[in-house]
Amino acid sequence: MAEAQKFKQPVKKKTKKEDAEPTTPGGLSSEKKKELKVLDEFIEGVLQEAGEEFLDEFKQVEGQ
Amino acid sequence: MSIPKIVGLEQEYAIKIKGGETLSFFDASCLLINAYARHLGLRDCGVDILWDYGHETPYQDIRGDLFGKNTGQQIVGEKENRLINTALPNGARLYTDHAHPEYSTPECLSALDALACDKAGEIILREGMRLMKNILPATSITLYKNNTDQQGHSYGCHENYLVAADAHETCLVSHPERALKALIPFLVTRQIFAGSGKVSHGKGAHWFPPYQISQRADFMETLFGLETMYARPLINTRREHHADSKRFRRLHLILGDANMCEFAGFLKLGTTQLVLQMLEDDFMDCDLTLKDPIKANQQISGDFGCGVELADGRKLTAVQIQRELVTYAQKFQPSDPSSRVPDDDVIRDCWSYVLDGLEQLKLSTDRVIEDDPLLLSKRLDWVLKLWIINRYREGRNCTWGDPLLAVLDLQYHNIDRKEGIFYRTQEKGFTEPFLTDDEITHFVHAAPDNTRAWFRGKCLEQFAEEIYLVNWEVVGFDQGDIHRMVPLLNPLKGTRDRYQEIFDQSRNARELITLIESVSAKQ
Repeated sequence: MAEAQKFKQPVKKKTKKEDAEPTTPGGLSSEKKKELKVLDEFIEGVLQEAGEEFLDEFKQVEGQ
Repeated sequence: MSIPKIVGLEQEYAIKIKGGETLSFFDASCLLINAYARHLGLRDCGVDILWDYGHETPYQDIRGDLFGKNTGQQIVGEKENRLINTALPNGARLYTDHAHPEYSTPECLSALDALACDKAGEIILREGMRLMKNILPATSITLYKNNTDQQGHSYGCHENYLVAADAHETCLVSHPERALKALIPFLVTRQIFAGSGKVSHGKGAHWFPPYQISQRADFMETLFGLETMYARPLINTRREHHADSKRFRRLHLILGDANMCEFAGFLKLGTTQLVLQMLEDDFMDCDLTLKDPIKANQQISGDFGCGVELADGRKLTAVQIQRELVTYAQKFQPSDPSSRVPDDDVIRDCWSYVLDGLEQLKLSTDRVIEDDPLLLSKRLDWVLKLWIINRYREGRNCTWGDPLLAVLDLQYHNIDRKEGIFYRTQEKGFTEPFLTDDEITHFVHAAPDNTRAWFRGKCLEQFAEEIYLVNWEVVGFDQGDIHRMVPLLNPLKGTRDRYQEIFDQSRNARELITLIESVSAKQ
């Protein structure tokens, strides 16, 4: 229970100051910014490879 | 009186085939399942296990009506039965349901175990895909753990909870207003933390919100009912309890989304366990009856902060309704302390935390996350997906109408750890796992110790060649002149602490049954 362990303790409300990684990229560490750039490029690659036609190709059979 | 809240998940996976134009979804799904079964030795010469449909009664309703359909055993020929089914030594069932590979977890006592078993299912399916590649090198299959194909089709992530028979009868049959007062409002509003998010790729004149928090909300049409493929109900009333129905009933929920984020999956299961136990003990004296639960389900999905109308005229947000329920949960102690929901303190803490976070989460009218101080984007699927989509929109300066956003939505759910957007986001540290890898991989091969799943799994591990049939509530052995059935009617029995020694002493199923009979006779 990686994160579950944290919640075994009474949950302390976090503030922005306490969180090392705000959700706005402007406040991220340079390491995280790099990771974010890699993630963006990865997503761009996935979408380029799939293309809009993926939506038609993905058609599924009705499930339960 | 409340009883332990055993829980299990049934996940249908979407399937995409590349390079095998003549291969149908059904064929691909069966190939995958059989590749994995063969890998475990479950297709070896001498192993010939059927899934027993004898206890499945999909058209029998708990309320007594038959809705114009024949009841009775579903007829599946033996050849097809073997083709589409595999019961696994980890206590799970892997099979083809219509044209989707489906993984049903074993019965679990805790939400954490159920979450880990569900994630272990992903590993098993990935292994199935890898093995299939050896059989059909030119064909590749990709699986998606989501609930809609963006073209109007949906497939489920069903939940099953063990409920005391008397409470089940009271709340769902004789006095359904009790379910309407607390259970239905809980289920309709829990999407604010359990929803997986969906780009509304709506076509035509109908207006859709550009982004919804639930994948399934648009597909739910009634409160109670038997159907699962149309006129889908919030609560499925199938009378198919897979246990001694005098004591135990199964609450079958089909409204939930499939979760990629472990935190969201844990909270969905854990909070539902607590609410059901409070319902069994008649602990909640609130009346949160929604004026129109189906409409409210869709309203909240379109705008998590909107107020929904209650039957008494009040208008509350989903967070306010959940706040009322978590307040009860914080004071609740089950009438039978031994039935306490495992990790209930963790569930309550996570529940409060997420409601705090949702109260502080700010979205613009264009669904841009303006503030997320408690970092829900690391823990809830719908917030994480929205964050990813907004980054893409910002980078490309595109509007919600861009079809690639719907593609991104689908690719988020690809279970391939290298190709799926969720898993790549997790790898980069932008979402946090709730479980360790070891906790998940344990359940690839092992069943939970503390439910009947352990007994079933152990039989499949040690005596597969002697098994004739299996299902959730029975293991049947072929002993030549006679078939011997071991009923597993109590989901809380058949546990490791009770039967490990007996399995250790048994060289075959005959000895196993003899030893069980001898121990039972002494009691």
